[in-house]
Amino acid sequence: MGRITDYYHAVSLEDAFAKAKQLGSAAAYVGGGVELVLRRNPEVTTLIDLSRCGLDYVAAVGEGIEIGSQTTLTTISHSADIGHYAGGSLAWWAGHIAHNNLRDMITVGGAIGRNQPWNDVVPHLVALGAQVRLFDDAERIMPLAAYIEAKQSGVIIKNVLLPTDNAGSRGFLWRFTRTQQDISTLHFSALVRFEGNIITAANLVFAGRPGHAALYPRLSEVLIGKPLSHETFARLAEVAYDLVEVGTDFRATGEYRRELVRAAVVYLEEHMTGVAQ
Amino acid sequence: MNISMTVNMVKRSFDVQPDEVLLDVLRCEGYLEVKGSCRTGDCGACTVLLDGRPVASCLTLAAKADGHAVTTVRGIGDQAHPHALQDAFVRNGAIQCGYCVPGAITSAKALLDENPDPTEEEVRLAMDSNYCRCSGYEQQVEAVLDAAAHLRKGDAK
Ligand SMILES: Cc1cc2nc3c(=O)[nH]c(=O)nc-3n(C[C@H](O)[C@H](O)[C@H](O)COP(=O)(O)OP(=O)(O)OC[C@H]3O[C@@H](n4cnc5c(N)ncnc54)[C@H](O)[C@@H]3O)c2cc1C
Ligand code: FES
Ligand code: FES
Repeated sequence: MGRITDYYHAVSLEDAFAKAKQLGSAAAYVGGGVELVLRRNPEVTTLIDLSRCGLDYVAAVGEGIEIGSQTTLTTISHSADIGHYAGGSLAWWAGHIAHNNLRDMITVGGAIGRNQPWNDVVPHLVALGAQVRLFDDAERIMPLAAYIEAKQSGVIIKNVLLPTDNAGSRGFLWRFTRTQQDISTLHFSALVRFEGNIITAANLVFAGRPGHAALYPRLSEVLIGKPLSHETFARLAEVAYDLVEVGTDFRATGEYRRELVRAAVVYLEEHMTGVAQ
Repeated sequence: MNISMTVNMVKRSFDVQPDEVLLDVLRCEGYLEVKGSCRTGDCGACTVLLDGRPVASCLTLAAKADGHAVTTVRGIGDQAHPHALQDAFVRNGAIQCGYCVPGAITSAKALLDENPDPTEEEVRLAMDSNYCRCSGYEQQVEAVLDAAAHLRKGDAK
C-alpha cells in the first residue's frame, strides 16, 4: 500500500462493487489483507473490506461445493465436505501450506486475486476443475483456469465452486520447497479419475515457475485411456520433461526445475498406484 | 479512523490509520508483550488470537479487527495467574532469551482450545510459524504436550 486514506467496510456485494467502480485502480478489495500489507501498491488509496458481505462459508450445493471467497485456509481444512472431495487433497493442503498464523488469514479470494507464480491454492483448484463465480453488478461463473488467464480488475470474486463431477476423482499436490513453510520452486497439482485400472480423465497443472499456474491438456492425453501402470507414468514423465515450460529465474535454474518435473511425476505415480518407484 | 475491539476481555477503542497493522496499534497502546520481528509473516513472534484464532499481527490490518476480540499472551495468563502453558514452558526449560515465547504460547493456546489431546506432530504443525533461535524446539513441543496433559487431568487452569 502507498498512502491509504480510507478503509471501507462494505455491507453487501453491490455496495463494495459501487465503491470500487467509483474509485477505479485506487481501490482494492481486502481478503485476509496479507498481500496488501506485505506488497504495498502505491496506486491504492482505499481498501474495501468484504468481511461483512457474507462470503465466509463452505456449502454443499446441487452443483458441488461452494467456498465463499472470504473463507480462510483453516476453515477449508476443517470442512468435512471438502475433506471428502477428491480424496481430501485440498483440505489436507489448506491445513499445511504457509504458516499456522497465516492459515487463519489467507482467504481463497485473496489467493486467487493475487495468484503469485508460487501460489499453491490456485493451481490445486485449477486441477480440481474449480469454477469461479464473479460479481460486477451481475453474477457470472467461469472456469478458474480461464479467469486467471484474463483477470478483470474491479470484479469481485464471490465464491469458488468445486464441481460434483470431480468429487470421486483423486486429487494430488506435490510442491518442492526447501522447508515446509517455504514457497514452491516447483508445484504440481493433478486430478485423476479412473474406472477399474483405466484412467478416464486427468487434469495436470504446473506452477511455482515464472508465469502463473498452467494446465497441460497435452499431458492429460498421455494418461487418458491408459492403465494405471508404471509404463503409463514413465511415458508421462518423458513428455512432461519436454513440454512443461519451466523458465530460468531466481531460486532455481531451468534445468533444475526440469528435473523436478520428472520427480513430480514419480510422486504422482506413487500416489495413484500406491507403489513407490 | 476509530475502531473498537476487546483486548484481553476489556473493551477498547483506538484511533488508527487505515493502513496501520495490529502489531503497531497494540504496542503503541502498551501491549508490549506482543513482539515484532520480521514483519513479513515469517517468524511468528507477533502472533495474537483474533476471535480465538492465531494471526500474525504484523500483517493484520487493525481496521480488519474492528468489532473483534484480541487476546495477547498476557490475556492467556500472567505472573500472578499463569496459564498451564506458561507453567509448562518454565518447567520444561522451553525459554531461553524468551523473545519468541509470547507468540509460541499464543499459537499453542489456540491448538489446545481446539484439540486438548494433540500428538507431537499436531503440536509441531500448530506452531510451524513460531521460530525460536534458542531452544531448538524440542523443549517447547514437550512443554505443550506437558501442559495438555495437566489440563486434561484438571490440575491446571
Ligand atoms: C510468510 C508467508 C508464507 C506464505 N506461504 C504460502 C504458501 O506456502 N503457499 C501459498 O499458496 N501461499 C503462501 N503465501 C501467500 C498467500 O497465499 C498470499 O499472500 C495470498 O494472496 C494472501 O491472501 P489474502 O486473503 O490475505 O489476500 P489479500 O492480501 O487480502 O488480497 C490479495 C489480492 O487479492 C485481491 N482480492 C482479495 N479478495 C478478493 C475478492 N474477493 N475479489 C477480488 N479480489 C480480491 C486484493 O485486492 C489483492 O489484490 C504466503 C504468504 C506469506 C506472507
Ligand atoms: S513479526 Fe509478525 S510474523 Fe514475524
Ligand atoms: S527462547 Fe530465544 S528465540 Fe526462542
